[in-house]
Amino acid sequence: MPILGFIGARIGVALFTMFVVSLIVFIAMHLLPGGFEQIILGPIQTQATRDAITNEFGLDAPIAEQFVKWAIAVLHGDFGVSMITRTPVAAELVRRAPATLQLAAMSIFTTLVVGLPLGIASGIGDTRRSVRVGARLLGALGASTPDFVLGTILVYVFSVWALGLTVGGYAPFLENPIANLRAMALPTLTLSVPGIALVLRTTRESVLNVMTSGHITTAVSRGESPSQIVRRHILRNASLPILTVTTMYLGALMGGSVIVETLFTIPGIGLYTWNALNNRDYQVTESAVLIFSILLVAVNMCVDIAYALLDPRIQGRRS
Amino acid sequence: MPSSRIRLVGAAFFALVAALIGPGPLARASDAITWGKQGEVLSYDPQHSGDGTSWDLFFLVYEQLLSTDDNFHLTPGLAERWEQISPTSYRFHLAQDAAFSSGRALTADDVVGSFKRLSDPKTGGVWGKQLGKIAAIVAEDDHTVRFDLEEPNSAFLNVLASAPTSILPIKELNDGSFDPKKALLGSGPFMVAEHVQDQYWKLARNPHYWRKNRPIADEFVIKILPNDSTRIAALRDGLVDVATFDNADISRLLRSEPKIKVIKQNTTNFYRLDVSAREEGSPFADKRVRQAMHYALDREAIANIVLGGEAKVEYPIPSGLGLDVCRKDPFYAEPRAERLVKARALLKDAGKEGVEVGVIGSSALAAYPLIAQVIQSSLNEAGFKAKVEEIPAADWYKRVFVAHPRFDLAVSWYAGYTDPAMVLYWWTPEGSKGWADGYTLPDDALTAAIQKVRSLPNGPERLAAMDTACGLIDEDSNVIALVGKPDYIAYRDDLVKVRFGANEGYFRTFKYAEEFSRQN
Repeated sequence: MPILGFIGARIGVALFTMFVVSLIVFIAMHLLPGGFEQIILGPIQTQATRDAITNEFGLDAPIAEQFVKWAIAVLHGDFGVSMITRTPVAAELVRRAPATLQLAAMSIFTTLVVGLPLGIASGIGDTRRSVRVGARLLGALGASTPDFVLGTILVYVFSVWALGLTVGGYAPFLENPIANLRAMALPTLTLSVPGIALVLRTTRESVLNVMTSGHITTAVSRGESPSQIVRRHILRNASLPILTVTTMYLGALMGGSVIVETLFTIPGIGLYTWNALNNRDYQVTESAVLIFSILLVAVNMCVDIAYALLDPRIQGRRS
Repeated sequence: MPSSRIRLVGAAFFALVAALIGPGPLARASDAITWGKQGEVLSYDPQHSGDGTSWDLFFLVYEQLLSTDDNFHLTPGLAERWEQISPTSYRFHLAQDAAFSSGRALTADDVVGSFKRLSDPKTGGVWGKQLGKIAAIVAEDDHTVRFDLEEPNSAFLNVLASAPTSILPIKELNDGSFDPKKALLGSGPFMVAEHVQDQYWKLARNPHYWRKNRPIADEFVIKILPNDSTRIAALRDGLVDVATFDNADISRLLRSEPKIKVIKQNTTNFYRLDVSAREEGSPFADKRVRQAMHYALDREAIANIVLGGEAKVEYPIPSGLGLDVCRKDPFYAEPRAERLVKARALLKDAGKEGVEVGVIGSSALAAYPLIAQVIQSSLNEAGFKAKVEEIPAADWYKRVFVAHPRFDLAVSWYAGYTDPAMVLYWWTPEGSKGWADGYTLPDDALTAAIQKVRSLPNGPERLAAMDTACGLIDEDSNVIALVGKPDYIAYRDDLVKVRFGANEGYFRTFKYAEEFSRQN
C-alpha cells in the first residue's frame, strides 16, 4: 500500500507546515508597528484608556503566552472574537466564505476555459505566425500585468463610464443573481487574466513538447483523428505541468483575493483580512491567514496525491 | 457538436450577457437614503472614539445636549433650553418626550451618568478633559440638570455639542444589558437595525424619537465603500444617493454627471505639521531650526497644489470661526521671499545648513503624502535636505505619538470644533499628555495664554489672549497649522432631497439627515 504511506507522509508535512505558518504569522503580526489600541482610539487619547484596551484583550501578556492561548483555542475550534466588532471570527469567516469561494471558482473556471483551449490551439497551430504571435502577446501581457494594476484600471474605467458592470454593488448570488454577476465580473476578470496567461503559456509549451514525441508520429501514422490525438495523447501527457501551474495559480488566487476584494469592495474573507490587518485586529488576521494556509496546504497535498496517481513513479520517488 | 446544441449554448451566453449589461438600478428599499461612506466605524463607544469616521455615525444614533447652526451658534439639542446661572454653573432643561430607541424615557439621570463617566479619568479618557474640572453634576428633577464647574470654561457649552458628549442609556449600562463598546443605543433619529462589518449599516427610524414627524426616511443605509472610484461608480449607478469624499478633485471628476451635485462643506478642521522638538539628536530640538523650517513653509502652495485652491491658509485658531486673530505673525504676514531669507539666516546661525530631515506623510489620508511633498520642496529652498517618508498609519502612530518618538516632521490634522479654546487645549501640557507630550515642549506662557482664552468670556480681552496664544504657538513652531481641510459631498439631485450645512465643526456632515427624503 505505498499510496497510503505517501498520503500519511503528506498529511504530516501539511500539519507541520500549518503550525510553522501560524507561528510566523502570529509573531509577524505582533512585530508590526502600531497596536490595536492606537488604531481604534486614534492618536488623541490618554495612556490609561489605551492600557485599559490592551488589558481587556490580553495584549499586554508575553507573545508566547498569547500564542499558546490562541493555538489551544483554535485546536478546540474557537477562533476568538474580532476585537472591533466583538463578534465571533469563525461565524464571520463562514458568512464571508461564499463571496471568496465564488470569486475563486469563477476565476479558476474562466482561467481554464480560456487558457487551456488557447494554449492548445497555439501549441498545435504553432506554424501559423498569427496564432504564435497572438498567444505570446497575450501570455506576456497577462503575466506582466499585476492584478492590482489591472484592477485599478478597471475600477477607474467603470467608474467613469457606465458600461453595464458595477463596481461595489455586491449582492449575494442567492439574493440577487444578476446584481451578483454584474458585481463579480470585473473582479473575476482581474484575477483571471494572470491565470489565463500562466495556463496558456504552460499549456502551449507542454503541447509543443509532446507534439515532437515519437508516439504522436505513431498515432498519426495509425490514422487517429486530430481530436483523438489531442485528447488521448497530447492532453494526458501535458497534464502534469498544467496541474502544477494551476496549483500555483490557486496559491496566487488567495493572495490576489485580498487585493481584488479590497479594490472592488467584495465582502469576502480577503477584504475582512485586509481591514483586520490595517486595524491590527490580531484574532481576525491570524485566523484568516491560518484558514488560507490550510486551504493552500490542502490543495498542494491533493495535487501531490494526484501526481502520484497520474504517475506512479512519483510515489516511489517522493515517499 | 450538433448545431442545435451550439445554438442553445449561444442563446444562453447572449442571455447572460444581456442580463449583465442590462439597464436598471438594483433593488433597494422604497424610501431608504443610502450613503456611500469612506471608512468603517472603528470603535462603538462615543466617549472613547477619536476618529471622525465614527463620530458622523454617532450623530445619527445618539444625541447631545446642544448643537450648532451653520454659523457655529449654539442651538438646542436634547436640551430644549439652557441658562448660565453663574460664571461656573449651567442649567439644562431636557426635552420632555426624549426616549431611547428601546422605548425607555431619557431622564436627567442618563445625562448625569453619561457626564460622570466621561469626566472620570478612569473611564472617560481624553475627551472628558475638554469639559474642564467639574465640581458637580446634579439632576434637579427628571428633566433638569445642573453643571457646576470648578473654574470658568468659555468653551463648555460648545463641548456639549461634540460626539464624545453623547448621552448614553446609563440605567442599561449599569445593569449590564447594554455595553457601549459592543452596541449603539441612543435617542437620536435612527437606531441600528443591522450591521455587517465592512459592508453596511442599516439604520431604521427610531420609533420613539421625540421630534414629531422626524426622521422622514424610514431607513438610512450606510454602505462602506473605501475606494473613491467605487463611490463615484455607486453614485452614478444609483447604488448610493449620497457619498462623502476628502478628495479635492471630486468636483472635476463628477463634472460630466448632470444628475450628481457636488458641494464643498467648509470645516474648521485643518492640516498641521508636528515637529519633534524634544528628542535629543533631532535637528528641531533647536528652536532656530524649527523657526527656519516654519518660515520656509509655503502654505499657499499646499492649498493650490494639493487641494486645488479650495483650502485656505490656516492658523492655530481656524479661520472658519470668523475671528480676526492670528493674522499678524511674521510666519504668515511677511512675503515668502523675505521669509526664505530669514529661514536661511536662522539655519546658518544654528549651523544646520544642509541638515537632513524626514517628513512623514502617512497613507492614512491621501493628502498627507502630497502635502509632505510640497513641504519637502519648500524646505529644500531654504537649505534643508528634506525627504518624504510615506508610511502606513499604524507605523506613523508608533513613531510619533509615543513617549520617545522617532521622527523629524509629520503631517497630521486637527478638528477645529466651534470654539477656539477647544482646539487650543491640545497645545497645553494637560491636553497633550499621553499622546503628544513625547514631541512637544511645555511653554508656561503659552499655557497661561490658552487658560485665559478658556476662562475669559467672549470680548476684546479674550481676542487679545487668542492673539497672544497664536503668537507663542508660531514662535515655538512645535505644532504648526498648515491649511484647511474641507469635506466634499456628492449626491443624486434627481433621486433625493437633502440639505447639508455650509460650515461644520464636529464632523456632523449629516446634521439634517432627519429631513432627508426621496424625490418621489
